[in-house]
Amino acid sequence: MRMRWREYRATILVAALSGAFGALLLQGTVLLTALVAGDSIGEKESVQLALGLVAVVFFAIAIFVGGIVTANTVGTVIAGRTRDIALLRLVGADARRLRASTARDGILVGLVGSLIGTVVGIGIMVGLVALGRSTGDLPETTPQLVTPMLVAPVVAVTLVTWLSSWVGSRRILAVSPIQASAAAVEPDADTVRSATGRRITAIALVAVGALLLAAGVVIGLVTMLGILVGMLGGILSFSGIVLAAPFVMPAVLRLVGRAMGSSPTARLAAENAVRNPARSSRATIGLVIGVTLVTMFAVATSSYYDMIVRASEQYPDDFAGVDETLAMTIGVFSVLFGFSAVIAAVGMVNTLSLSVLQRQRELGLLRALGFTAGQVRRMVLAEAAQMSVASVLFGLVLGVVYGWCGAQALLGSMLGGGLVAPSMPWFVLGGAVLVAAVLAAAASVAPARRATRVSPVAALAVD
Amino acid sequence: MTITTTEMGLAARVAGVSRRFGVGHGAVVALDDVSVGIRRGQFTAIMGPSGSGKSTLMHVMAGLDSSDNGSVWVGDTDITRLPDRDLTLLRRRRIGFVFQSFNLVPTLDARSNILLPFDLDGRKPNVDESRWIDSLVTTLGIADRLTHRPHELSGGQQQRVAIARALATRPDLVFADEPTGNLDSRSGREVLTLLTEACSRFGQSIAMVTHDPVAASYADRILFLADGRIVDERERSTPEQISAIMLAMEATR
Repeated sequence: MRMRWREYRATILVAALSGAFGALLLQGTVLLTALVAGDSIGEKESVQLALGLVAVVFFAIAIFVGGIVTANTVGTVIAGRTRDIALLRLVGADARRLRASTARDGILVGLVGSLIGTVVGIGIMVGLVALGRSTGDLPETTPQLVTPMLVAPVVAVTLVTWLSSWVGSRRILAVSPIQASAAAVEPDADTVRSATGRRITAIALVAVGALLLAAGVVIGLVTMLGILVGMLGGILSFSGIVLAAPFVMPAVLRLVGRAMGSSPTARLAAENAVRNPARSSRATIGLVIGVTLVTMFAVATSSYYDMIVRASEQYPDDFAGVDETLAMTIGVFSVLFGFSAVIAAVGMVNTLSLSVLQRQRELGLLRALGFTAGQVRRMVLAEAAQMSVASVLFGLVLGVVYGWCGAQALLGSMLGGGLVAPSMPWFVLGGAVLVAAVLAAAASVAPARRATRVSPVAALAVD
Repeated sequence: MTITTTEMGLAARVAGVSRRFGVGHGAVVALDDVSVGIRRGQFTAIMGPSGSGKSTLMHVMAGLDSSDNGSVWVGDTDITRLPDRDLTLLRRRRIGFVFQSFNLVPTLDARSNILLPFDLDGRKPNVDESRWIDSLVTTLGIADRLTHRPHELSGGQQQRVAIARALATRPDLVFADEPTGNLDSRSGREVLTLLTEACSRFGQSIAMVTHDPVAASYADRILFLADGRIVDERERSTPEQISAIMLAMEATR
């Protein structure tokens, strides 16, 4: 099933971001290894291994988020093209073939995107190295950074894009040829299939995960091994939350929506954001994951920092100079995690644009009934604000919980057992608010423009 | 001294209006120098085969589409060169719409849909308007459906909600675009009877676009369009008479 170019844009962008990230991480690893290890061969290997592991973990997180975004993008596109698909089915197209060809398109899109990203990544690195040399921070001779290894991220991103296109296109199978002739005003809300089963699994995962997390914190008071139990609990409970997104996110969105007031624009926007639970959870869950990761890490390191400070007061000599190192580590890692959040944000912006595109008729109706262009614009902005605020808030809450649990489980024993209040670095909170604001604005610009261009005649046209 | 639209006994009128879509060879003339008025307090049907320009005429009269030349009045307001915002307010306050595919806002329940024009104005209906809406809802037989969302209502019920919405603000003119097109014949007859009653009992001016002779037979006056021109005009007629005129129009094309 051929999609239109516009519908591929977000996927290409996500693949490009992932590709660029991969290329930067790889080159950075090579460069850092050379700098840190100097000429010692033995040290070189261990540093390379450590850095490589870190790079792989961050890259994996980024393409995981990217994969979720892509699957959701494809899902949204398919949902909006039910009529086209039904028509193809009506004239005899095979649903499985349609789906396979959509997934095949994913390979191409992933390849093109990640190649673009890799080129950009190499370019950025060249610039950074030149900058480093000119300021004297880097030696004149640096190792060859462009290695055959750069193929690896391209392959990974391409495969993930293919896989997520396959997952996202499963709705094609559910389209019946009869839908081509139905005068459905909008594609029916995705019915959350096997909702009960999903709910039970999700609740069980969250419950067991939460218990393990708590156990991790308690065990952590005695030994560092608490982190292992806690991590298992974290993974389980977070999987539960992601699984429960279609039930959980609408509730969060509704809460935020209520805070936005009762003007007709705000009310309609609030309703729009929750009218299709599957769509809104698709749009927001990526960002929730991204923000959770950033916050979790920041809170964990910050709590860690507090513990270190407490310890350093007792043993000042052992902890000299640790301040700066820690602050820098927090900064660097936040940026690395932040990358996943950026990828997730692309997905949210795209979903909102698509949902506006799919609502032309309704927007036209509102214009016909007397919604001014300004009111339509405010409605789209309110919808975007609601989605970003809800995702960022939810992510912050989850991140604080996980980060604090992690820090406690790992380091609670360090001070002979004791609880530290979760500490939140100010720049994460400030950054989150900023991200939410920028995102809401950015996400609404293009859709709002498109929405205000909708002619009221569109509502009257019978298609 | 010019005579106003109101003094002519008209709710809306167009004078010398043309509308062309596209350019060059592919251009289509949807309206070709049309001058016509919709009489106040009457139920007017605008009939014509597909592509005759009847929908375009309605869009232009309702301020949804602009004309290439000529003038358009709603009441005594010349809307020909009105900016978009003023047109929007005019539609909100002085025009009602009933569409073929009902076009209720899917996220709002029936009551909110009916109150939408007031909501858009940022106000609540006053006592008088509330009483009017209550009586409308009762007359239309949807009093017990007000908390339902559109997808929980049958087509006929959805169209009644749409009619209540269109009449709620007591607009100068209600435009109905094939209001029975998506309904079974019984619901269709009920909707047409309701529109006729809105006209006869409340003096509501209604313009209905249709190509169904049965629907048109409910109207007080029927305008026939073909190829962008008004080609005939009749007072109330039977479906058979209307069909005969339509067939004759086809034959002379």
